[in-house]
Amino acid sequence: MAGMAAGLTLSGCDSAWPRGANGEEMRVNFYNWDTYIGETTLADFKAATGISVQMSLFGNTDELFARLKAGNPGFDVIVPANEFVTRLRISDMIEPLDHRKIPNLRNILPDFIDVPYDPGRRFSVPYTWLVLGLGYRKSKVDGVPDSWKWVFDSDRYAGRIGLFAESDDIIRVGAKYLGASVRGVTPAMTRRVVDMLIRQKPHIKVFHHDEGQDLLAAGDVDIVVEYNGDIAQVMADDPDIGFVVPREGTLLNSDCLCIPKGAPRPDNAHRFINYLLDARVSAAISRTIRYPTPNGAALALMPDAYRLNPVIFPPAAVMARGEYGDFEGIARAQAVDEAVTEIMAA
Amino acid sequence: MNGPLDYLGRWPLRLWLGVVGLFLYAPLAILVIFSFNDSKRTFIWRGFTTRWYTVLFNDTELLMAFGNSLTIALISTLISLVLGTLVALLLWRFRFPGKAGVEGLLALPIVVPEICLGVAFLVFFSAVLPWPTDLAWPLNLGVIIIAHVSFSFSFVALVVRARLASFDRDLAEAARDLGASEAQIFRDIMLPHLRPGLVAGGLLAFTLSLDDFVITFFTSGPDTVTFPVKVYAMVRFSVTPEVNAASTVLIVLTAGLTALALKLQSSETAKKAG
Amino acid sequence: MTASRSDSWRASRSDSWRASHSDSWRASRGVFAILAAPPMLWLFGFFLAPLALIWGYSFGENVSLTQIAVNGSLGNYARAIKPLYLAIIGESAGLAALTTLVCLIIGFPVAVAIAFAAPRARVWLLLLIMLPFWTNLLIRTYALMAVLRHEGTINTLFGWLGLGPFDLLHNSFAVVFGLVYVHLPFMVLPLYAALDRLDRSLIEASLDLGAGHIATFARIVVPLALPGIVSGIIITFIPALGAYLTPDLLGGTNSLMIANIIERQFKSANDWPFGAALSFLLMYLTFAAITLQALLARRQGGPPV
Repeated sequence: MAGMAAGLTLSGCDSAWPRGANGEEMRVNFYNWDTYIGETTLADFKAATGISVQMSLFGNTDELFARLKAGNPGFDVIVPANEFVTRLRISDMIEPLDHRKIPNLRNILPDFIDVPYDPGRRFSVPYTWLVLGLGYRKSKVDGVPDSWKWVFDSDRYAGRIGLFAESDDIIRVGAKYLGASVRGVTPAMTRRVVDMLIRQKPHIKVFHHDEGQDLLAAGDVDIVVEYNGDIAQVMADDPDIGFVVPREGTLLNSDCLCIPKGAPRPDNAHRFINYLLDARVSAAISRTIRYPTPNGAALALMPDAYRLNPVIFPPAAVMARGEYGDFEGIARAQAVDEAVTEIMAA
Repeated sequence: MNGPLDYLGRWPLRLWLGVVGLFLYAPLAILVIFSFNDSKRTFIWRGFTTRWYTVLFNDTELLMAFGNSLTIALISTLISLVLGTLVALLLWRFRFPGKAGVEGLLALPIVVPEICLGVAFLVFFSAVLPWPTDLAWPLNLGVIIIAHVSFSFSFVALVVRARLASFDRDLAEAARDLGASEAQIFRDIMLPHLRPGLVAGGLLAFTLSLDDFVITFFTSGPDTVTFPVKVYAMVRFSVTPEVNAASTVLIVLTAGLTALALKLQSSETAKKAG
Repeated sequence: MTASRSDSWRASRSDSWRASHSDSWRASRGVFAILAAPPMLWLFGFFLAPLALIWGYSFGENVSLTQIAVNGSLGNYARAIKPLYLAIIGESAGLAALTTLVCLIIGFPVAVAIAFAAPRARVWLLLLIMLPFWTNLLIRTYALMAVLRHEGTINTLFGWLGLGPFDLLHNSFAVVFGLVYVHLPFMVLPLYAALDRLDRSLIEASLDLGAGHIATFARIVVPLALPGIVSGIIITFIPALGAYLTPDLLGGTNSLMIANIIERQFKSANDWPFGAALSFLLMYLTFAAITLQALLARRQGGPPV
């Protein structure tokens, strides 16, 4: 009962926000993945600046895009993946960033400053980066399954395989396995991937949506396609779980911070982004979420257990075979979606 | 009560009811049990703790979302009841050109896929009828409330119509002959008969609103988060026992409130009879 | 009361059993206006208008990532009736039909038990059936996952009996299980309402005349309760057809339902015109089915549903 009353009174409370020296309300609406932030980051920001951060959650970047497509309902900072930075940029849905308000940008490693999806980082700053690979249960799998073959093209682990259901990724990684690049996948190559996956389908247990690590930990599957950070999180609780990046190479991603057009509090948004790039703050976030960080200054503060963890930071040889994908036009996106529907309906 | 129709007294039906009850409640029991699980993930038991309830009651965002959900449900139920009853009375009482069309239109909210409606409202309220985003609470919940009413008043109409079908027109005729006005007829004769239908319709509308996810997802913004939307985002990433704790509280609350309402109603009827 | 008045009353009463006995709207325009205006305004302004927008989109195409041009193109519908999508609609209808059947089989005895229980027990039983419905759908589905998975409750119980872990999750069985779990109250309530209105004396008469319980049910109860049964079937089947959270989480690789495809169009595929076309195609088909069923019912001479 008390909770309900508290809820009702709290709901009525957000109509009266004090305004700061910059004329903006002392708050920031942050649209982010769940638990993709340090345990005390938001509270610390409030303590340091007096600005409250309200974090709203989305389940995947497509939801983010769908929500923003008809207009910004009030978000100040969002966390799209690199390809969505491209989409948002060409649809004129994000604001150019004022680098003077983000001095901590100098903490970012040089590799992440001039990227193809946002040259010079005019619209985004990197938050994390991710490597797609295979999470597996060591006791149920022979040795280290370091090839995509075990999930795409083999019945060795029939009935115990989990695949990612996100459209573009599955086609692109399939192409990588067959020897092509993740970019510019031709219709002929797409066809080959579709046929291969339709053949593989009887052996696949489930198409998951980014909860692969939970399925692996629960024992529903023994080998699953997932991001390194997610698997690193369950590895902390369960030493029987391993992660490997297949030798054919893989898809790399980077989640970035952007300010959507129509953000009600752009100045506070810049301050928040700058705060997240601070070395100690970024290190604290990485300690919680266990994803690799593009922040060099933060990296220097992290313990060896993090920096030298091959799951979080795959060795250079592996990284050399990783590629970033990108948005390749509406027609291509439609074709890929239909290809995935075909696989899932077969 | 042990006549030939006392089916409940017979063991096959009792057994059936028991099995169905088990089927319905076992997952909920597991839900409640795992809300006391001492682990970040919900499905492997690691020990007993009540810390998730502490986390829950300190999670102001979740509580706010819950407050929003309740407010939306209450307001939209009231509006749905009014609109649903009006249209049920309309269809029951009058013949008019286009009546079959109206009946068909009323079936639409039940048939349209929710995701389609959600996107429709999203586009409508941003392109055609922009709803200002900086209104005070609870006006900023307006879009969600309107959306909820739009899909739930058909259900209310359905339930009330079913109840109206058993109403004896002659009673209203008699009252009219005796000089009662329309308003009096409605208030003193029809309303009491309709009451069970209104309660059932209201409960249905309340539930539909409280639990709605898809349509609310598209019509809510960062300042108007509701409970299902918040829970959805939380569980997409990984299910922590905090969500179980929130559900347990919700179940206990709802069960408690309804039991209370029933007790009050039965003591009221007992008083009237006695 | 004079004799003529009571005669006319009796005459009108026998009329009302057959004719609809509604007034023409002209008879009391004031009341008509009050009853009609608010719901109709709301229906047109806040329901049909947004829906018409999306209907327009189904005839449009994406000209950029955010702009949709409504140009009367039938491309989306042409794509929607490709065998790939029709097959998915067919399979979804099959799963939904199976769900409805299971709900009917499980729900009918439950409704009977409640309808013939003591009045006080009746309310509590109805409450017990409705209560799970008040839990958040997503959470209920996760709870079902905990019950059905390899290390879940059911398999643990089987394990104690020495039986191997069964594959109860991530397949069509789990989807039907989940859909039945969610939609059972939708079936029980109309069934209960129909049975409640039944004239008990008919059943008792049939039993007195020597028919067994089963025969009585088959030949007296079911035909009389038919409108309620049909209501229950309709309000179970249609939401089951459009369900997407449950098949998404519980389904395996062979349990793709049409609502999941539609959802993808509005989210990851970013193809709103095609999503709109698929949704409306589904609606047209559902309407056709309902109309067909209504026509058949009328031809049979039964009461209109």
